Amino acid sequence: MTPVQILFILVAAVTLGAALMVVNARNLVHAALWLIVSFGGVAVFYAMLNAGFLAVAQVVIYIGAIAILMIFAIMMTRNVAGDSSPRFNSSQIIGLVLALALFAGLVWMTLSWSGATTTPMPLDSRADPISQLGSALVSPDGYVLAFELASILLLGALVGALMIAWDRK
Amino acid sequence: MVPVEYYLGLSIVLFSLGALGVLIRRNAIIIFMSVELMLNSANLTFVAFANQYQLISGQIFVFFVMAVAAAEVAVGLALIVAIFQTKQSIDVDQINLLKG
Amino acid sequence: MNLSNASASLNAILPLVVVILWACALLLVDLFITKERKGLTALLAAIGMLASLIITLARLDLEAVVFNGMVTVDGFSNFLTVLFLGSGIVAVALSYDYLKRMGLEKGEYYVLLLFTVSGMMLMAVASDLIVVFLALELLSIPLYVLAGIATPRLDSEESSLKYFLLGSFSTGIVVYGIALVFGATGTTSLAGIVDAITAGSAGMGLLVAGAAMLLIGLGFKVALVPFHMWTPDVYQGAPSSVTAFMAIGAKAAGFAAILRIFIQAFPALSVDLTPVLWVLAALTMILGNVVAIAQRNIKRLLAYSSIANAGYILLALVPYGQSDVAADSVASALFYLLAYAFTSFTAWSVVIALEQVEGKGLELEDYAGLSRRYPILALTMTVAMLSFTGVPPTLGFLGKFYVFRTLLEGGFPGLAVIGVVTSLISAYYYLRVVVYMYMREGEPQAIRDPWLYIAATASAICLVVLGIFSQPLFAWASQAMLH
Repeated sequence: MTPVQILFILVAAVTLGAALMVVNARNLVHAALWLIVSFGGVAVFYAMLNAGFLAVAQVVIYIGAIAILMIFAIMMTRNVAGDSSPRFNSSQIIGLVLALALFAGLVWMTLSWSGATTTPMPLDSRADPISQLGSALVSPDGYVLAFELASILLLGALVGALMIAWDRK
Repeated sequence: MVPVEYYLGLSIVLFSLGALGVLIRRNAIIIFMSVELMLNSANLTFVAFANQYQLISGQIFVFFVMAVAAAEVAVGLALIVAIFQTKQSIDVDQINLLKG
Repeated sequence: MNLSNASASLNAILPLVVVILWACALLLVDLFITKERKGLTALLAAIGMLASLIITLARLDLEAVVFNGMVTVDGFSNFLTVLFLGSGIVAVALSYDYLKRMGLEKGEYYVLLLFTVSGMMLMAVASDLIVVFLALELLSIPLYVLAGIATPRLDSEESSLKYFLLGSFSTGIVVYGIALVFGATGTTSLAGIVDAITAGSAGMGLLVAGAAMLLIGLGFKVALVPFHMWTPDVYQGAPSSVTAFMAIGAKAAGFAAILRIFIQAFPALSVDLTPVLWVLAALTMILGNVVAIAQRNIKRLLAYSSIANAGYILLALVPYGQSDVAADSVASALFYLLAYAFTSFTAWSVVIALEQVEGKGLELEDYAGLSRRYPILALTMTVAMLSFTGVPPTLGFLGKFYVFRTLLEGGFPGLAVIGVVTSLISAYYYLRVVVYMYMREGEPQAIRDPWLYIAATASAICLVVLGIFSQPLFAWASQAMLH
């Protein structure tokens, strides 16, 4: 086993373990902290997969913004944080069965996949992935339309969030 | 090198865990966290295959998923806080997603 | 791509650009409109959509593939764009007085409505899974907010939260499906997926898994059984004007995505997918219609009716893999969507006319005696119910007729029989509404808002007139083939 593979196994164990803790946690703040660990694990994978920019974006957006916003929301809805009512809903058995069925179905369908036929090329040290990413995002030959649409989407979401949070009579 | 199949397997487990959380938990914030786990699993798949095929488009997609997740989180948490102020609880049996 | 190419690309999606820019401008203009005069905002929103509609109608035969293949303007997208813009304008007409009565008047309502409509229009032209994903979110996020616009009323907030949680759950499933498709083919463009399948370089196991995830995720959006659990609660809790738009626009946009993705990119998977579609369609029709019988609340009744109708639309898709039937599949699905939109708007405008504050006036008993005091409303509701049931000569009858014909062409007589039998079952609860209105005594209360009456009677007249002269309409839908 190469060091990279050992690292993969370790990070995978941490990521999945943290995800399981999120699903199982009794305390909301603990769940949010485990969520941050899980996001961090995914960021490490991005770094291992030559996606340095996304690894940073993962830390900044998912951990720095989304998880922190969730913690804010938890604190604003405080009296449920340590609450003792049941964690799971009344149809937890059905939910468990459905999730297992989803897992089994995905495994079954992907097992018939013969696997990747190409091997990834070693990283070309001359090409700069970040500048590639940047120019693809805003070039008319690339994803400029999607980029603009994402900005419209963020504007709409902001207006909507403000309307709900602000306008309380 | 870690083969892409390993990443795929990892993402399937992570995705199923997220779906499990959505289906069995009562608390709206935890359900939402579980959705974020599902999105992360999809993102991981994208990045793994983008690396496999040496395509930038997989990474671009992840960028957009992150932007959309940020938009969703703003709206979702505003809703959750609003409902808490009305009801003093987000322990939502009405949000039992399996009941009509 | 040089600058003139870029402007040609923008020109191809001009109706969409107009709506988006109009929404952004309206957001600013609305600041200067006083709280008592929000009708002006409503009017401006409607004018923006009308302008976009006129542009679309002026170039109905426009076909273009722009933005590097991410956007395809063709007969299919033009048909749906007209449908979405028309729905948006009718939704404004239904909303204006309703919001005032319920004390919900907010200028942002119309801005968010415009954003949602632009997301739907984007869905009609999307031919890359990135754009499909963004369109899905652009139409969903404002709808989550609109469902909760009656805050701090609890039922509206809960409806909004439930819609949001299930919506983002289904988004997660869609994104994972797209990731698997990307893993199988190395591309997210629909044309690229077809190329990869033809070249034999696609990983078929992954591709089928991805297609299944996409079907589940979009199935939540259009409320197919067994992904329908959210529908009755959300439809009941959201303000009626929003529900009406949700039931029509969001469903049509979801089907736009399903039709475009499956017919254009996945015909090769039909061996695996057709049985799944068969079962989903049968379940949706049976459960939607049977559970609707037990409903006494008109909003829940229409919610189950919208579930059942999703089943009928899906029928058109079942034989999609047969290349000689695929064109009829698209045409009959589009025609059914149009018939469903007209019928739903007619029914919902009557519901809105009768609804009182605090959720009163929504039980079946509140419709008793409607024919005596409000004969026009009773008549429009009757037309809508007959059209839902599928009684000739209404548009609803023709919608079902074309769908069943497509099924028979594709060789699925068994499913067509289920469709006819469930239609007969549905007659029970649709006609019960008519019985209440004409044969029971009661003191119904309704408002007399001219815009609402115009919208209701106009769409009821369209249901009958277009039902009698449906040939040009179906011919138009038939041109909307996907290549």
